[in-house]
Amino acid sequence: MSIVTVQLGQCGNQIGFEVFDALYSDSHCPQGLCSKRENEVYQASCKERFFSEEENGVPIARAVLVDMEPKVINQTLSKAAQSGRWKYGQHSCFCQKQGSGNNWAYGYSVHGPRHEESIMNLIQNEVEKCDCLSGFFIIMSMAGGTGSGLGAFITQNLQDHYSNSLKMNQIIWPYGTGEVIVQNYNSILTLSHLYRSSDALLVHENDAVHKICAKLMNIKQISFSDINQVLAHQLGSVFQPTYSMEGSYHYRRNPLGELMENLVPHPEFKMLGIRNIPQMSENSLAYSTFTWAGLLKHLRQMLISNSKMEEGIDWQVRPPLSGLPTLGKVSLNRELHFNTSIANLVILRGKDVHSADLGGFKDPALYTSWLAPVNAFNVWKTQRAFSKYEKSAALVSNSQFLLKPLDTIVGKAWNMFASKAYIHQYTKFGIEEEDFLDSFTLLEQVVASYCNL
Amino acid sequence: MGRRRRRVDRGAAVGALPEAIAALSRTLPAGPSPEIFRRAKFDRPEAAPALWQLLFRVLSPLSADGASASPAQEAQVRAVKSELRSQGYPRRALAQLPEDGSQGSRELLLALAWLLARGPLLERLLAQTRVRLGDEIPLCECEALARPGPPVPRVEADGPVDIRHLQWLMGKLRFQWRKLITSQQEQCALLGKGTCSSLSSSRELRRSGSDWAPGTPPAWDMATSDLRDALGPGLAGKPSLSPRSSHSVSLPLSSLDLLARPEAASPTTRTWQSIHSYTRGCHSDRSLGHLSVAETELLRDAEGGQQLLRRLESENVCLEAALRWRRQELVFWRWMDTVLGTCPPEASQPTFVPRIPERGAGEWELVARELQALQEELRGAAEPRRAAWEARVGGWGPEWSAVQRASREAVGLELAALQRAWERGGAAAQPHGPCRLVKSDAGASGGPGLRAAQVIEVLRSREACLEAVLCQLQRQCRQELARLAGALPGLIWILPPGR
Repeated sequence: MSIVTVQLGQCGNQIGFEVFDALYSDSHCPQGLCSKRENEVYQASCKERFFSEEENGVPIARAVLVDMEPKVINQTLSKAAQSGRWKYGQHSCFCQKQGSGNNWAYGYSVHGPRHEESIMNLIQNEVEKCDCLSGFFIIMSMAGGTGSGLGAFITQNLQDHYSNSLKMNQIIWPYGTGEVIVQNYNSILTLSHLYRSSDALLVHENDAVHKICAKLMNIKQISFSDINQVLAHQLGSVFQPTYSMEGSYHYRRNPLGELMENLVPHPEFKMLGIRNIPQMSENSLAYSTFTWAGLLKHLRQMLISNSKMEEGIDWQVRPPLSGLPTLGKVSLNRELHFNTSIANLVILRGKDVHSADLGGFKDPALYTSWLAPVNAFNVWKTQRAFSKYEKSAALVSNSQFLLKPLDTIVGKAWNMFASKAYIHQYTKFGIEEEDFLDSFTLLEQVVASYCNL
Repeated sequence: MGRRRRRVDRGAAVGALPEAIAALSRTLPAGPSPEIFRRAKFDRPEAAPALWQLLFRVLSPLSADGASASPAQEAQVRAVKSELRSQGYPRRALAQLPEDGSQGSRELLLALAWLLARGPLLERLLAQTRVRLGDEIPLCECEALARPGPPVPRVEADGPVDIRHLQWLMGKLRFQWRKLITSQQEQCALLGKGTCSSLSSSRELRRSGSDWAPGTPPAWDMATSDLRDALGPGLAGKPSLSPRSSHSVSLPLSSLDLLARPEAASPTTRTWQSIHSYTRGCHSDRSLGHLSVAETELLRDAEGGQQLLRRLESENVCLEAALRWRRQELVFWRWMDTVLGTCPPEASQPTFVPRIPERGAGEWELVARELQALQEELRGAAEPRRAAWEARVGGWGPEWSAVQRASREAVGLELAALQRAWERGGAAAQPHGPCRLVKSDAGASGGPGLRAAQVIEVLRSREACLEAVLCQLQRQCRQELARLAGALPGLIWILPPGR
């Protein structure tokens, strides 16, 4: 089943390119550590999901590119075409000549309705090329103008027109010390609108990925391209094919659907995060070996101590003993020590994957009281190695890890709103104070729900 | 001369009876040996368990693959007794048999004979366990609906249930529903797609001839196995579809090449339409004309084919046994007469009442009293309302009776029209159960069965009915909610955000 990607704004388009590139490179990677036949099935499965066929054999990404400025889209198209291995469709992009000045309201109320028909037509074309549509990826940033406002509008439209298809929004959480003054307003408006119309919000934090680039990959001058590549690696390790069930060698047809069913069925808990281990520069890769036990131990501790990468993990954090109240149930004034999960999905790829022991993730202490580990924890496996990593593990988690960042953003936005700073820029284009208040209410409710796990 | 003939006859008859019983038993699921039958005639206790099990398998609705562990002896006995009672079995002696299943083999034998004589038992059993080959869609599901489903597992909630857990489960249901709709849409899209354009691709034909399995591009396997997974549980009720070995599928060499073609593996050709188009002219059965997905898969997957072959062979054995039984069943019935003769004469049969357990007697009285109270309450509520309505109606005068007459006539006309449409449409001639999909050229005179347009009509009308029912249920829910909201003043209802 196929996934159609909608790349929105500068951020979305750059990341989208890296994602498709990572998926393609991995599926054609020669060191798959599995039989030739299985490799072919893996390739075919990945290809069917993300690429469509073309006459002369070059696969075309199932993507629609949208931006209000032509520069980034042109760059993206040419980068893809240059590689010669895959490309974007000729008529899959939409751009205008003007920007949106980081104004969410402009993107939502002006660009959206004005260009709704053209964009939806592009998406419809892409959908019709699929034999079977599993759902949509919508890649966007939360704090900019085009990506966020237009993205919220498009997602709402997709909800209306394709109500049975799944929608996963890949959101880029801005740097805490971001340069856009109104990024907090944009963020809360985006989040609240997406919470209503999307099925799952997969959040990538710029701060976290930046740290990974600096500490783990040893990159001195970190560019957006490096960050995007790390991000693409994380996404690829989740959505590349995996076996459909224990002991089977058939690949899963609908990873998006199963992921959503396992992680985000509850309407109040839709925020997901990814952790990936190991992550290192290619040079170091050749000199490292791993065991599943070691990887999973680190991954588990990353989960419960809310750490973003395998360095600097706080090993002091322990799951609470049964019978005692969770340490996580404290007011937000104090540090949240223990990260309670609602549901987790672990994806293992590589050698001897069937011997990996996942008992540590089935501990009921990790999870909230109203969901037993047998329902809350799932694991996907495949023997085929991912992108030259002999063993790699990814974790998609619906847990409290975004609680603090979310609370921070809401707090900052509220402070600005209380003094009515910059509100006129939004009311000018039809976003009233009422809409702000609605957004605050919804997000406070989300914060409270996560807090009370 | 006559004596010899009689001896020959008796000799022939003696040999024919075990054969007949053996044939019968091979046709039935869990059929016991003829020796068991013979012992049952003399009411030997060792024959009883086998016969209880046989009756249980015959009477219980078909579970998936019949592979579920059969329940304990007492449960089987109780199930058989209640099922026979509900079908109207007249002999009291069977109901009085002990529940440990150790006695009463003669009664069981008589019960089996009664079931056999009553209706097309063997045909029904054989139809249930048929191996299905074609691409099927269910046309009329009345049988499936009438059969009671598996018992709903009761989960006793100890302690208060967290509502978030319920919301979680509801969300999962919704996602599964959407998955189902998407795969249904995929099926429909596959059926409705026009002929694929990649037929005239420039790729080289791979002349593989006999070399299918290792050379097959994996995408095809994935695709057909996906189709199989998608189709299997939902439609045919069997987890695996497999082709029939008894029909020899004659393949001209050109279509062997077609099967091995690379394009056949590409996702765009992964459709029923394409399989049906590609394999036109291949099927030995001229009226069908093309292979189904299952049959095509057989040709590509050798191991699956072996499995299928075995299942088909066992089904053939059953069918041959059934045919032999039909030829020889007279012998069996004559023998059953003798069995009946050996039974002790039954005491005069009072009307058969179900035995009410002692401890339940008090509860029955309670229930009866509650029913009476409810009836009186209903009467008390209905009477004044009826009187009020009649007063209102009466107050309208002659125009109301005119309206009444007009509406009665309109209803009568509509009913008559419906009846005419029913008789004209020959709706009674609709086949039940799943039907095989066959693609034939436009304009070719249809063979037996329905054309797609008729099926679409039927499905549309059913959709309309279901929509009406859905609307009505939604309206009822809304009214109930409004009533609840109004019932508690000062209570504010806050709905959760979005879906």
